[in-house]
Amino acid sequence: MVPIINQIYAKFLEKRINSAKTKIEFYDNFLPIKLQTLEDRYNRKVEIIKLKYKQKLLSLEIPAGVDSEYLKEIYETEQANLKDKFYWKERIVKASSQRKGENGKEQIQELEKEKSIKANAIKNKYYPKSTSEAIKNYETNQPILNETLEAKITKIQTSYQIKVDKFSNKSNKAVKRYQEININLSAKLHEITKDKIAKYSLEENVVLSLKSLSMHFGGLKAVDDLSFDVKEGEIFGLIGPNGAGKTTVFNCITRFYKPTLGDIYFKNIYDDVVYLNDKLVHNIIKEGIVRTFQNVEMVWELNVIDNLLVAAHTIYRSGFFGHLFNSRLLRQEEKVMRRKAMKILEDLGISAYQYAYPYGLPYGILKKIELARTLMANPKLIILDEPAAGLNDVETADLAKVIKKIRDEYNATIFLVEHDMGLVMDICDTVCAISFGKKLAMGSPKEIQNSKVVQEAYLGGE
Amino acid sequence: MFDTTGFWKDIFIFILVLVVVYILLKTFTLKYFKNKDRAKTIGLNIFLVLGILYLFYRIYRVIYDNFPDFATMFMMTNIVNQALQVSVLALATTGIVLIFKTSATTNFAQGMIATFGAFFSAKMIQYFALNYTDMTVTTMVFLAMIGGAITAFLFGVFVDAVIIRNSKDKSPIGKQMITMGLVLVLAGAMPLIFGKILLPIPKMSYEPNIAFKLFGIDLFITVHAYYALIITVVLLVILFSMLRFTKWGLGVRATASNELVAGMMGVNTKVITSMSWAIAGLLGAVAAVMLTPNATNVTVALMTPTQVNAFMAAILGSFSSFLGPLVATILIPVLTGLLSLIVPLWQNAVVYLIILAVVLVKPMGLFGKKIAKKV
Amino acid sequence: MMICRTEVCKDRKARFKQITNHPYFGFFIITFLMLIVQLLRVTGVPVSNTLIRAFGITMIYIIIALGFSILLGYAGLASLGTAGFVGIGTYILGYFTKNLEASIFIVILVSILGAIVIGLIVGFISLRIEGMYLAIITLGLSEILNEVFKNAVSITNGTNGLGLDSQLIIFKNLIFINHNTIFIFTAIIMFVMMILTLNLIKSPTGRALLAMRNSTSAAQAMGVSILKYRLMAFIVSTVYAMLGGVIYMSYISFSIPTTWSLAFSLNILAAVIVGGSQSIYGIVLGTFMIFGLNLGVFQQFDFFKENPAISVMFNGLLIILVIMFYPGGLIRLVTTTYYKLKNALAKLKMKWRNYRYGSDN
Repeated sequence: MVPIINQIYAKFLEKRINSAKTKIEFYDNFLPIKLQTLEDRYNRKVEIIKLKYKQKLLSLEIPAGVDSEYLKEIYETEQANLKDKFYWKERIVKASSQRKGENGKEQIQELEKEKSIKANAIKNKYYPKSTSEAIKNYETNQPILNETLEAKITKIQTSYQIKVDKFSNKSNKAVKRYQEININLSAKLHEITKDKIAKYSLEENVVLSLKSLSMHFGGLKAVDDLSFDVKEGEIFGLIGPNGAGKTTVFNCITRFYKPTLGDIYFKNIYDDVVYLNDKLVHNIIKEGIVRTFQNVEMVWELNVIDNLLVAAHTIYRSGFFGHLFNSRLLRQEEKVMRRKAMKILEDLGISAYQYAYPYGLPYGILKKIELARTLMANPKLIILDEPAAGLNDVETADLAKVIKKIRDEYNATIFLVEHDMGLVMDICDTVCAISFGKKLAMGSPKEIQNSKVVQEAYLGGE
Repeated sequence: MFDTTGFWKDIFIFILVLVVVYILLKTFTLKYFKNKDRAKTIGLNIFLVLGILYLFYRIYRVIYDNFPDFATMFMMTNIVNQALQVSVLALATTGIVLIFKTSATTNFAQGMIATFGAFFSAKMIQYFALNYTDMTVTTMVFLAMIGGAITAFLFGVFVDAVIIRNSKDKSPIGKQMITMGLVLVLAGAMPLIFGKILLPIPKMSYEPNIAFKLFGIDLFITVHAYYALIITVVLLVILFSMLRFTKWGLGVRATASNELVAGMMGVNTKVITSMSWAIAGLLGAVAAVMLTPNATNVTVALMTPTQVNAFMAAILGSFSSFLGPLVATILIPVLTGLLSLIVPLWQNAVVYLIILAVVLVKPMGLFGKKIAKKV
Repeated sequence: MMICRTEVCKDRKARFKQITNHPYFGFFIITFLMLIVQLLRVTGVPVSNTLIRAFGITMIYIIIALGFSILLGYAGLASLGTAGFVGIGTYILGYFTKNLEASIFIVILVSILGAIVIGLIVGFISLRIEGMYLAIITLGLSEILNEVFKNAVSITNGTNGLGLDSQLIIFKNLIFINHNTIFIFTAIIMFVMMILTLNLIKSPTGRALLAMRNSTSAAQAMGVSILKYRLMAFIVSTVYAMLGGVIYMSYISFSIPTTWSLAFSLNILAAVIVGGSQSIYGIVLGTFMIFGLNLGVFQQFDFFKENPAISVMFNGLLIILVIMFYPGGLIRLVTTTYYKLKNALAKLKMKWRNYRYGSDN
């Protein structure tokens, strides 16, 4: 009985540790966003206060005849406005006189006169003759105004600083707390599991391991006793003629099909080895496996960035009621996720489409959006089902670059099925060839190219 | 009238056992059988047949407890009394399945199109009764039935040509909603077209009941139900032989499996679908005319219960076959009739609940096959 | 004066724009427009009873249609069980106020609990039976409920219908026996429900539902649990329906099984489809087209009063036309015409400018 309880406890601990990790990640991502918004708000407030100060000062300056830059600015804008107004008036006159077939010179002259009168009036308004009283007034009040301005700014600054400190303290504290929790729980977990050897183990550097996998549809053996390992950080290609069972292998790994026989092991994002046969389809993504589909599967009613957010679905911590009442946590998370999505789009060079709707976008772009979407879920293994299908040569070359970039920058292992031999030979580190569900050969692209078995399978043996 | 203590409990236990057995089958067949899907289906089928037999046995026991001497006769009479209902339901269900096969939509307006035909028949009967006083009831109703059937036939063609053909690219659910819209349109239009006067349709015959013996028990059947049964059997035999032996039937089957490919292979899918809408309308109208004497007058809501039952039968027997729904069309009225003895007023609810439980266990229906999904 | 043309004034303008651009502002306006009829009545303007009643019923139907739109527009599940669920809501209120004199809040709580149970059942059914078959199965479920309404005489008073004094028990001693108060109460609930619906469909939940509607396998690959979201969609829609039922009963004070038939479900379906199943404004528009127009306008004329079938036909025609020609609903038509008008207006303005100021060359 005790081992079962221990097992359940260990699972519970694992869950807590993982959630603490996601929380730490959330705080790390959210802190800069929050600080940025606080700073923006502060800057805006200061700006408005300065503006009000300038206006007050102006009302003192004008009668006192003090020439300041702000006064000059306002005077010039007023004059420009006047000029603009009369330009349009002139055009009205011209157009109407043209329609009537008249010259209209007299009217224009009148307008000019009016304009000069008004310009003078503005000049008098801003630069009147100064009186000694006003000068005195200016001299006494200006320092007071300055002082109040400075006081206000310092007040806002202190409150801003307090807010920043408060928030960063809070966030740091939370992070620290979760780290402590993590350490404690990990120690507990270690205590529980130290007697036992880990349930499943994989060789070093191996991410995914298929052990004698078989899948039968009635009498048809779509996959027959297939085993191979995928190493960490490589681009692994699975090739084979039509009907060789490549997509079936994919569907077995992502749990859309339940394999008839055989085991699949995977080292997940927390470096624990999990037995994939036990997992449900929608939980695969939590372990760090994300897949794309042969024909792009977009949510057509949402724009590109929302499409990316769908894949981040499992990372959200806010629950149903949080969503229903638009809770603060949800709003914060949305900000974090949107920034992350934006960054991914920029990395893949498709940030121009962020608010576009996927319907009607070129196929190459859609494929890239699908790739970007896989990255939203912090994947460890990305499974691509015929990424180059339906693309032309230029787009394929572009895609190859993007796939390499993803592997390098996001530390993800990539596992792909492809018909386009050019792409496979170009980017893959290891290639596995299968035919009728059985493994033919595995090795570097060159070895596969020179392998006789593979050539026979493709061209038909003699 | 009946002492039914324990029957409710039985129904509940029946449904519960069904679900439990399903779960057991699902878990154990996985482990011990190599071909688990087949084992599961066979196991379930055996269990379902046993379950239905058990249900009938329980009903029999309840009747037996109350009337030990006439229990068998009681049951047989009740079953034979459902002849009219069975024939009406069989026609309606066949129409729905036919349309599902060719247009890939569940036609909610089937009952309304049928009622449209029945209204026309009733109008014809009104005309005959006024102008040809020496005509017998039987010929009058038969002529009116043919008239109504032709009307519904033409109306089916019209619906297909105007609406269904132009909404081919819509999703199945969208098409289904179009038929729901059609229900509302017809429900609104019919009182306007045919006026508000009550339109009765008499029985096909008012001759005395026909007596016959089955397993040594004396039974009666009304002449109306007898004719209805004959008409239904004739129509269905004609339809099935058409499906089996004519080019049109081959086209229907080809269209049912894949409309696009059938079109490419030279099948004129337009004619196929429009003919199936027409024939479905015809079958429905005949059913409606046969049903009307039960309600004395043709009303807009005439076919609604039949429509619901027909859907239930099609779901229970699986949309993918023609024979499965027919078995269900016999099962549903018979069960309803028997249950009305034991749990009066609640019979429909109980039957629907049983169907719901069966369908939960076998989503594709009793005679359906599971289709593997391609990812 | 002239200084105000600069930053401070712009700031003020921006703030005002923030209010008008707020996503809830439109809902506020709709609720306000609904309440105006009642307010006019209070201030002494003679407004006919039928008009006020039409507005009240339309608001109730908007609540029900909102729930249905989550099911149909977002989860992609076609259900015909709405009528039955609304019926349960009415009978819960009827039973609890008549026999137990319970407060409206307790009734709402009970109806939400009941909705969760029923939503769970239907949700589980929807996991096994998909697409077109679901509509049929839910139709069967609705029929079962209707039989229950007819036959459970001790609670529902059978086919005679359950009548109630028009009253709203807030607490034991605080009872409103007034249609006007219930009208305002309905308006407030509608406003809240609109906000909650918007929150839900703009949140990750709404996105997950849309993903599920587009392709279940792709949604699963992205971590959307079909089980969880189907159940959730059904529970939410059932809660809306039952709440609608509770308010219906407190406003109309009469419930009869024949109301909760297939036609009711089809009309709600029509409202959601005609307006546009993915937009809240669309649903408001659709409900007005299907119910408001009939109750508020057509019923004023004798011709339509004598032929109630015409409005039914009109609803059916609208469904067919909208599905065939405007798959996004009439709200899309409205928005596109709005933008077209805007463009046309801009062009006209340009022409007028050219006429007045002369062309730039």
